[in-house]
Amino acid sequence: MIAVLGLVVGVLAGLLVRPEVPAVVEPYLPIAVVAALDAVFGGLRAMLDGIFDDKVFVVSFLSNVVVAALIVFLGDKLGVGAQLSTGVVVVLGIRIFSNAAAIRRHVFRA
Amino acid sequence: MSNQDETPEKAPKPAPENPLRKKLPEEVPAEAPEASRTEASETPKTEASEEPETEPEQAGPTLSGRQRLVNGLWPPRLSRAQFIVALLLFGLGFGLAVQVASNSDGDGALRGARQEDLVRILDELDDRTQRLEEEKRGLEDQRTELENSSDQAEEARKQTVEKEKQLGILAGTVAAQGPGITLTIDDTKGAVEADMLLDAIQELRAAGAEAIQVNGVRVVASTYLTDANGGGVSVDGNKISPPYRFKVIGRPQDLEPALNIPGGVVQTLEKEQATVTVERSDKIVVDALRPAKQPDYARSSSS
Repeated sequence: MIAVLGLVVGVLAGLLVRPEVPAVVEPYLPIAVVAALDAVFGGLRAMLDGIFDDKVFVVSFLSNVVVAALIVFLGDKLGVGAQLSTGVVVVLGIRIFSNAAAIRRHVFRA
Repeated sequence: MSNQDETPEKAPKPAPENPLRKKLPEEVPAEAPEASRTEASETPKTEASEEPETEPEQAGPTLSGRQRLVNGLWPPRLSRAQFIVALLLFGLGFGLAVQVASNSDGDGALRGARQEDLVRILDELDDRTQRLEEEKRGLEDQRTELENSSDQAEEARKQTVEKEKQLGILAGTVAAQGPGITLTIDDTKGAVEADMLLDAIQELRAAGAEAIQVNGVRVVASTYLTDANGGGVSVDGNKISPPYRFKVIGRPQDLEPALNIPGGVVQTLEKEQATVTVERSDKIVVDALRPAKQPDYARSSSS
Protein backbone atom coordinates (compact mmCIF):
# COMPACT_ATOMS: atom_id res chain seq x y z
CA MET A 1 0.00 0.00 0.00
CA ILE A 2 2.74 2.39 0.98
CA ALA A 3 4.55 1.43 -2.23
CA VAL A 4 1.53 2.41 -4.32
CA LEU A 5 1.27 5.63 -2.35
CA GLY A 6 4.92 6.28 -3.14
CA LEU A 7 4.22 5.92 -6.85
CA VAL A 8 1.23 8.24 -6.72
CA VAL A 9 3.09 10.82 -4.70
CA GLY A 10 6.01 10.60 -7.13
CA VAL A 11 3.79 11.25 -10.14
CA LEU A 12 2.06 14.15 -8.40
CA ALA A 13 5.38 15.64 -7.32
CA GLY A 14 6.74 15.36 -10.86
CA LEU A 15 3.65 17.04 -12.29
CA LEU A 16 3.52 19.80 -9.71
CA VAL A 17 7.20 20.64 -9.44
CA ARG A 18 7.93 20.29 -13.17
CA PRO A 19 11.67 20.48 -12.80
CA GLU A 20 13.85 21.16 -15.79
CA VAL A 21 15.53 17.95 -16.86
CA PRO A 22 19.29 18.52 -16.82
CA ALA A 23 20.79 18.19 -20.26
CA VAL A 24 23.20 15.50 -19.05
CA VAL A 25 20.41 13.23 -17.85
CA GLU A 26 17.94 13.96 -20.63
CA PRO A 27 18.79 11.13 -23.06
CA TYR A 28 18.86 8.53 -20.29
CA LEU A 29 15.69 9.42 -18.44
CA PRO A 30 13.20 7.77 -20.83
CA ILE A 31 15.19 4.53 -20.99
CA ALA A 32 15.72 4.57 -17.24
CA VAL A 33 11.99 5.02 -16.72
CA VAL A 34 11.20 2.10 -19.01
CA ALA A 35 13.77 -0.06 -17.27
CA ALA A 36 12.32 0.85 -13.90
CA LEU A 37 8.86 0.03 -15.20
CA ASP A 38 10.14 -3.39 -16.20
CA ALA A 39 11.54 -3.94 -12.71
CA VAL A 40 8.25 -2.85 -11.16
CA PHE A 41 6.24 -5.24 -13.30
CA GLY A 42 8.66 -8.01 -12.47
CA GLY A 43 8.30 -7.21 -8.80
CA LEU A 44 4.52 -7.16 -9.04
CA ARG A 45 4.54 -10.50 -10.72
CA ALA A 46 6.90 -11.93 -8.10
CA MET A 47 4.56 -10.65 -5.43
CA LEU A 48 1.62 -12.37 -7.05
CA ASP A 49 3.70 -15.51 -7.30
CA GLY A 50 4.45 -15.16 -3.64
CA ILE A 51 8.18 -14.98 -4.13
CA PHE A 52 8.62 -11.27 -3.71
CA ASP A 53 11.71 -10.15 -1.89
CA ASP A 54 12.38 -6.50 -1.26
CA LYS A 55 16.16 -6.82 -1.45
CA VAL A 56 15.94 -8.50 -4.83
CA PHE A 57 13.50 -5.87 -6.00
CA VAL A 58 15.74 -3.02 -4.96
CA VAL A 59 18.78 -4.54 -6.59
CA SER A 60 16.94 -5.39 -9.80
CA PHE A 61 15.34 -1.95 -9.95
CA LEU A 62 18.61 -0.10 -9.54
CA SER A 63 20.61 -2.40 -11.76
CA ASN A 64 17.97 -2.21 -14.49
CA VAL A 65 18.10 1.57 -14.44
CA VAL A 66 21.87 1.73 -14.36
CA VAL A 67 22.36 -0.87 -17.08
CA ALA A 68 19.79 0.75 -19.34
CA ALA A 69 21.41 4.16 -18.92
CA LEU A 70 24.82 2.60 -19.47
CA ILE A 71 23.71 0.97 -22.71
CA VAL A 72 22.35 4.23 -24.02
CA PHE A 73 25.49 6.05 -22.96
CA LEU A 74 27.63 3.47 -24.68
CA GLY A 75 25.43 3.62 -27.76
CA ASP A 76 25.83 7.38 -27.88
CA LYS A 77 29.59 7.04 -27.66
CA LEU A 78 29.61 4.41 -30.39
CA GLY A 79 27.33 6.44 -32.62
CA VAL A 80 24.47 3.95 -32.55
CA GLY A 81 22.60 5.57 -29.68
CA ALA A 82 19.24 5.71 -31.40
CA GLN A 83 19.30 2.09 -32.58
CA LEU A 84 20.62 0.80 -29.29
CA SER A 85 18.04 2.65 -27.23
CA THR A 86 15.36 1.32 -29.57
CA GLY A 87 16.70 -2.17 -28.96
CA VAL A 88 16.67 -1.65 -25.21
CA VAL A 89 13.12 -0.40 -25.33
CA VAL A 90 12.06 -3.37 -27.43
CA VAL A 91 13.64 -5.87 -25.07
CA LEU A 92 12.22 -4.19 -22.00
CA GLY A 93 8.87 -3.95 -23.73
CA ILE A 94 8.82 -7.68 -24.40
CA ARG A 95 9.67 -8.37 -20.78
CA ILE A 96 7.00 -5.99 -19.59
CA PHE A 97 4.48 -7.70 -21.83
CA SER A 98 5.34 -11.18 -20.58
CA ASN A 99 5.22 -10.02 -16.97
CA ALA A 100 1.95 -8.27 -17.62
CA ALA A 101 0.59 -11.48 -19.11
CA ALA A 102 1.53 -13.43 -15.98
CA ILE A 103 0.02 -10.75 -13.75
CA ARG A 104 -3.11 -10.78 -15.80
CA ARG A 105 -3.43 -14.52 -15.39
CA HIS A 106 -3.05 -14.14 -11.67
CA VAL A 107 -5.52 -11.33 -11.28
CA PHE A 108 -8.19 -12.21 -13.80
CA ARG A 109 -7.45 -15.92 -14.06
CA ALA A 110 -7.58 -15.62 -17.78
CA MET B 1 4.13 -11.67 -27.03
CA SER B 2 5.16 -15.21 -27.73
CA ASN B 3 5.32 -15.77 -24.01
CA GLN B 4 1.70 -15.00 -23.66
CA ASP B 5 0.73 -17.78 -25.99
CA GLU B 6 3.26 -20.29 -24.82
CA THR B 7 2.78 -20.19 -21.11
CA PRO B 8 -0.77 -21.42 -20.85
CA GLU B 9 0.23 -24.55 -22.71
CA LYS B 10 3.45 -25.11 -20.87
CA ALA B 11 2.22 -24.31 -17.43
CA PRO B 12 -0.35 -27.06 -17.08
CA LYS B 13 2.02 -29.80 -18.16
CA PRO B 14 4.90 -29.29 -15.80
CA ALA B 15 2.60 -28.36 -12.96
CA PRO B 16 2.35 -31.89 -11.56
CA GLU B 17 6.09 -32.45 -11.28
CA ASN B 18 7.63 -29.07 -10.37
CA PRO B 19 6.22 -25.93 -11.89
CA LEU B 20 8.80 -23.65 -10.32
CA ARG B 21 11.79 -25.35 -11.89
CA LYS B 22 10.31 -25.22 -15.32
CA LYS B 23 8.91 -21.77 -15.12
CA LEU B 24 11.42 -19.55 -13.44
CA PRO B 25 14.31 -19.43 -15.87
CA GLU B 26 12.33 -18.26 -18.82
CA GLU B 27 9.59 -16.09 -17.46
CA VAL B 28 10.35 -14.62 -14.10
CA PRO B 29 12.49 -11.45 -14.30
CA ALA B 30 15.97 -11.09 -12.96
CA GLU B 31 15.15 -11.31 -9.32
CA ALA B 32 13.25 -14.53 -9.63
CA PRO B 33 16.11 -17.01 -9.36
CA GLU B 34 17.38 -15.31 -6.27
CA ALA B 35 13.93 -15.05 -4.89
CA SER B 36 13.39 -18.72 -5.27
CA ARG B 37 16.42 -19.31 -3.12
CA THR B 38 15.61 -16.80 -0.44
CA GLU B 39 12.01 -17.82 -0.20
CA ALA B 40 12.45 -21.47 -0.56
CA SER B 41 10.06 -22.07 2.23
CA GLU B 42 7.30 -20.51 0.22
CA THR B 43 7.63 -22.88 -2.65
CA PRO B 44 4.57 -24.88 -1.77
CA LYS B 45 2.55 -21.71 -1.81
CA THR B 46 3.73 -20.77 -5.27
CA GLU B 47 2.87 -24.19 -6.45
CA ALA B 48 -0.56 -23.79 -5.02
CA SER B 49 -0.98 -20.44 -6.61
CA GLU B 50 -0.54 -21.93 -10.02
CA GLU B 51 -3.22 -24.48 -9.41
CA PRO B 52 -6.20 -22.12 -9.53
CA GLU B 53 -5.16 -21.05 -12.98
CA THR B 54 -5.74 -24.44 -14.47
CA GLU B 55 -8.36 -25.67 -12.06
CA PRO B 56 -10.22 -22.69 -10.63
CA GLU B 57 -12.73 -24.84 -8.75
CA GLN B 58 -10.03 -26.20 -6.48
CA ALA B 59 -9.78 -23.10 -4.25
CA GLY B 60 -8.33 -24.29 -0.98
CA PRO B 61 -6.96 -22.46 2.02
CA THR B 62 -3.86 -21.57 0.00
CA LEU B 63 -3.58 -18.00 -1.28
CA SER B 64 -4.26 -17.16 -4.89
CA GLY B 65 -2.47 -14.35 -6.70
CA ARG B 66 -5.42 -12.13 -6.34
CA GLN B 67 -5.68 -12.71 -2.62
CA ARG B 68 -2.00 -11.96 -2.24
CA LEU B 69 -2.46 -8.72 -4.10
CA VAL B 70 -5.33 -7.75 -1.83
CA ASN B 71 -3.34 -8.75 1.22
CA GLY B 72 -0.40 -6.71 0.07
CA LEU B 73 -2.54 -3.66 -0.46
CA TRP B 74 -4.65 -3.79 2.66
CA PRO B 75 -4.04 -3.33 5.50
CA PRO B 76 -0.95 -1.14 4.98
CA ARG B 77 2.07 -2.52 6.70
CA LEU B 78 4.81 -0.26 7.96
CA SER B 79 7.86 -2.27 7.16
CA ARG B 80 11.31 -1.28 5.98
CA ALA B 81 10.76 -3.14 2.74
CA GLN B 82 7.58 -1.18 2.04
CA PHE B 83 9.40 2.08 2.60
CA ILE B 84 12.27 1.20 0.34
CA VAL B 85 9.96 0.06 -2.40
CA ALA B 86 7.89 3.19 -1.92
CA LEU B 87 11.02 5.27 -2.28
CA LEU B 88 11.97 3.56 -5.52
CA LEU B 89 8.47 3.85 -6.88
CA PHE B 90 8.46 7.50 -5.90
CA GLY B 91 11.59 7.92 -8.02
CA LEU B 92 9.95 6.07 -10.88
CA GLY B 93 6.78 8.11 -10.71
CA PHE B 94 8.75 11.32 -10.50
CA GLY B 95 10.90 10.43 -13.47
CA LEU B 96 7.87 9.32 -15.43
CA ALA B 97 5.96 12.51 -14.77
CA VAL B 98 8.96 14.71 -15.50
CA GLN B 99 9.67 12.91 -18.74
CA VAL B 100 6.05 13.07 -19.82
CA ALA B 101 5.84 16.73 -18.91
CA SER B 102 9.05 17.67 -20.70
CA ASN B 103 7.95 15.65 -23.70
CA SER B 104 4.51 17.14 -23.99
CA ASP B 105 5.27 20.82 -23.63
CA GLY B 106 6.64 23.11 -26.29
CA ASP B 107 6.85 21.54 -29.75
CA GLY B 108 5.32 18.36 -28.55
CA ALA B 109 3.17 18.12 -31.65
CA LEU B 110 6.20 17.92 -33.93
CA ARG B 111 8.27 15.73 -31.64
CA GLY B 112 6.09 12.71 -32.22
CA ALA B 113 5.58 13.31 -35.92
CA ARG B 114 7.00 10.93 -38.51
CA GLN B 115 9.74 11.94 -40.86
CA GLU B 116 7.55 12.11 -43.96
CA ASP B 117 5.09 14.30 -42.11
CA LEU B 118 7.87 16.57 -41.00
CA VAL B 119 9.17 16.86 -44.54
CA ARG B 120 5.69 17.63 -45.80
CA ILE B 121 5.15 20.24 -43.11
CA LEU B 122 8.50 21.78 -43.96
CA ASP B 123 7.61 21.91 -47.65
CA GLU B 124 4.30 23.53 -46.90
CA LEU B 125 5.98 26.09 -44.72
CA ASP B 126 8.51 26.81 -47.45
CA ASP B 127 5.74 27.30 -50.00
CA ARG B 128 3.88 29.52 -47.64
CA THR B 129 6.99 31.56 -46.90
CA GLN B 130 7.60 31.98 -50.60
CA ARG B 131 4.04 33.09 -51.24
CA LEU B 132 4.17 35.54 -48.40
CA GLU B 133 7.52 36.85 -49.59
CA GLU B 134 6.05 37.47 -53.03
CA GLU B 135 3.07 39.19 -51.55
CA LYS B 136 5.35 41.30 -49.42
CA ARG B 137 7.45 42.27 -52.40
CA GLY B 138 4.36 43.29 -54.34
CA LEU B 139 3.09 45.36 -51.48
CA GLU B 140 6.44 47.01 -51.04
CA ASP B 141 6.53 47.93 -54.72
CA GLN B 142 3.08 49.38 -54.39
CA ARG B 143 4.13 51.34 -51.35
CA THR B 144 7.19 52.73 -53.11
CA GLU B 145 5.03 53.71 -56.03
CA LEU B 146 2.54 55.46 -53.80
CA GLU B 147 5.28 57.18 -51.88
CA ASN B 148 6.85 58.41 -55.11
CA SER B 149 3.56 59.64 -56.48
CA SER B 150 2.67 61.32 -53.22
CA ASP B 151 6.13 62.87 -53.18
CA GLN B 152 5.56 64.16 -56.67
CA ALA B 153 2.13 65.43 -55.75
CA GLU B 154 3.59 67.14 -52.73
CA GLU B 155 6.32 68.70 -54.82
CA ALA B 156 3.81 69.89 -57.39
CA ARG B 157 1.65 71.30 -54.64
CA LYS B 158 4.60 73.17 -53.18
CA GLN B 159 5.49 74.60 -56.55
CA THR B 160 1.91 75.58 -57.10
CA VAL B 161 1.77 77.35 -53.77
CA GLU B 162 5.02 79.10 -54.54
CA LYS B 163 3.79 80.16 -57.93
CA GLU B 164 0.49 81.27 -56.48
CA LYS B 165 2.36 83.53 -54.11
CA GLN B 166 4.46 85.00 -56.88
CA LEU B 167 1.47 85.51 -59.07
CA GLY B 168 -0.48 86.81 -56.08
CA ILE B 169 2.12 89.51 -55.61
CA LEU B 170 1.82 90.51 -59.25
CA ALA B 171 -1.96 90.34 -59.19
CA GLY B 172 -2.13 92.15 -55.89
CA THR B 173 -4.05 89.46 -54.07
CA VAL B 174 -1.39 88.92 -51.42
CA ALA B 175 0.59 91.34 -49.28
CA ALA B 176 4.26 91.77 -50.04
CA GLN B 177 7.26 93.10 -48.25
CA GLY B 178 10.82 93.78 -49.11
CA PRO B 179 13.36 96.54 -49.78
CA GLY B 180 12.19 99.49 -51.80
CA ILE B 181 11.42 103.18 -51.73
CA THR B 182 8.71 105.50 -50.59
CA LEU B 183 7.83 108.23 -53.05
CA THR B 184 5.85 111.08 -51.61
CA ILE B 185 4.36 113.72 -53.92
CA ASP B 186 2.89 116.64 -52.00
CA ASP B 187 0.71 118.70 -54.28
CA THR B 188 -0.60 121.76 -52.53
CA LYS B 189 -1.68 123.55 -55.71
CA GLY B 190 -3.67 120.71 -57.22
CA ALA B 191 -1.49 120.76 -60.30
CA VAL B 192 -0.64 117.08 -60.37
CA GLU B 193 -2.84 115.13 -62.70
CA ALA B 194 -3.44 111.49 -63.35
CA ASP B 195 -1.12 111.28 -66.35
CA MET B 196 1.78 112.45 -64.22
CA LEU B 197 1.12 109.76 -61.65
CA LEU B 198 0.82 107.25 -64.45
CA ASP B 199 4.20 108.39 -65.75
CA ALA B 200 5.64 107.86 -62.31
CA ILE B 201 4.15 104.38 -62.12
CA GLN B 202 5.43 103.51 -65.59
CA GLU B 203 8.85 104.75 -64.68
CA LEU B 204 8.84 102.68 -61.50
CA ARG B 205 7.69 99.62 -63.41
CA ALA B 206 10.39 100.14 -65.98
CA ALA B 207 12.93 100.31 -63.18
CA GLY B 208 11.82 96.92 -61.89
CA ALA B 209 9.22 97.72 -59.28
CA GLU B 210 7.49 94.53 -58.23
CA ALA B 211 4.69 95.76 -56.02
CA ILE B 212 3.27 99.23 -55.81
CA GLN B 213 0.57 100.79 -53.73
CA VAL B 214 -0.51 104.37 -53.68
CA ASN B 215 -2.44 105.78 -50.76
CA GLY B 216 -3.82 102.36 -49.83
CA VAL B 217 -4.67 101.28 -53.37
CA ARG B 218 -2.75 98.41 -54.92
CA VAL B 219 -1.41 99.14 -58.35
CA VAL B 220 -1.51 96.18 -60.70
CA ALA B 221 -1.42 95.61 -64.45
CA SER B 222 -5.02 96.58 -65.00
CA THR B 223 -4.87 99.65 -62.81
CA TYR B 224 -6.16 102.81 -64.40
CA LEU B 225 -5.87 106.39 -63.27
CA THR B 226 -8.26 109.20 -64.01
CA ASP B 227 -8.60 112.76 -62.91
CA ALA B 228 -11.28 112.96 -60.29
CA ASN B 229 -13.92 115.71 -60.23
CA GLY B 230 -13.00 118.50 -57.88
CA GLY B 231 -9.28 117.82 -57.73
CA GLY B 232 -7.40 114.71 -56.85
CA VAL B 233 -6.97 111.51 -58.77
CA SER B 234 -9.01 108.40 -58.99
CA VAL B 235 -7.15 105.10 -58.99
CA ASP B 236 -9.24 102.12 -60.06
CA GLY B 237 -12.25 104.15 -59.11
CA ASN B 238 -10.94 105.02 -55.65
CA LYS B 239 -10.50 108.72 -55.21
CA ILE B 240 -7.25 109.63 -53.59
CA SER B 241 -6.03 113.04 -52.63
CA PRO B 242 -2.59 114.57 -52.06
CA PRO B 243 -0.16 113.92 -50.71
CA TYR B 244 0.29 110.90 -52.93
CA ARG B 245 2.35 108.34 -51.14
CA PHE B 246 3.77 105.53 -53.26
CA LYS B 247 5.10 102.45 -51.56
CA VAL B 248 7.25 100.57 -54.03
CA ILE B 249 9.06 97.26 -53.61
CA GLY B 250 12.03 96.81 -55.85
CA ARG B 251 15.75 97.42 -55.94
CA PRO B 252 16.18 100.86 -54.31
CA GLN B 253 19.42 101.51 -56.19
CA ASP B 254 17.50 101.16 -59.46
CA LEU B 255 14.27 102.82 -58.47
CA GLU B 256 15.65 106.06 -57.06
CA PRO B 257 17.87 107.01 -60.02
CA ALA B 258 15.06 106.10 -62.39
CA LEU B 259 12.90 108.76 -60.79
CA ASN B 260 15.70 111.31 -60.55
CA ILE B 261 17.03 111.20 -64.07
CA PRO B 262 17.14 114.61 -65.77
CA GLY B 263 13.82 115.29 -67.42
CA GLY B 264 12.34 112.43 -65.50
CA VAL B 265 9.43 112.12 -63.15
CA VAL B 266 10.81 114.15 -60.28
CA GLN B 267 11.87 117.09 -62.45
CA THR B 268 8.57 117.11 -64.30
CA LEU B 269 6.60 117.17 -61.04
CA GLU B 270 8.79 119.80 -59.48
CA LYS B 271 8.15 121.91 -62.57
CA GLU B 272 4.46 121.77 -61.56
CA GLN B 273 5.31 123.11 -58.09
CA ALA B 274 4.89 119.76 -56.38
CA THR B 275 7.20 118.61 -53.63
CA VAL B 276 8.71 115.24 -54.31
CA THR B 277 10.64 113.17 -51.75
CA VAL B 278 12.15 109.78 -52.34
CA GLU B 279 13.19 107.64 -49.39
CA ARG B 280 14.97 104.36 -49.56
CA SER B 281 13.97 101.72 -47.06
CA ASP B 282 15.05 98.18 -46.25
CA LYS B 283 11.54 97.18 -45.46
CA ILE B 284 8.56 98.33 -47.41
CA VAL B 285 5.24 96.64 -46.67
CA VAL B 286 2.70 96.63 -49.46
CA ASP B 287 -0.41 95.39 -47.75
CA ALA B 288 -3.21 96.85 -49.84
CA LEU B 289 -5.00 93.97 -51.56
CA ARG B 290 -7.19 93.48 -54.54
CA PRO B 291 -9.82 90.81 -54.63
CA ALA B 292 -8.92 87.88 -56.85
CA LYS B 293 -11.18 87.95 -59.84
CA GLN B 294 -12.24 84.78 -61.59
CA PRO B 295 -12.48 85.28 -65.30
CA ASP B 296 -15.95 84.49 -66.56
CA TYR B 297 -14.99 83.03 -69.93
CA ALA B 298 -11.30 82.58 -70.16
CA ARG B 299 -10.08 79.20 -68.95
CA SER B 300 -6.57 77.97 -68.62
CA SER B 301 -5.69 76.07 -71.76
CA SER B 302 -2.99 74.05 -70.04
CA SER B 303 -4.00 71.03 -67.99
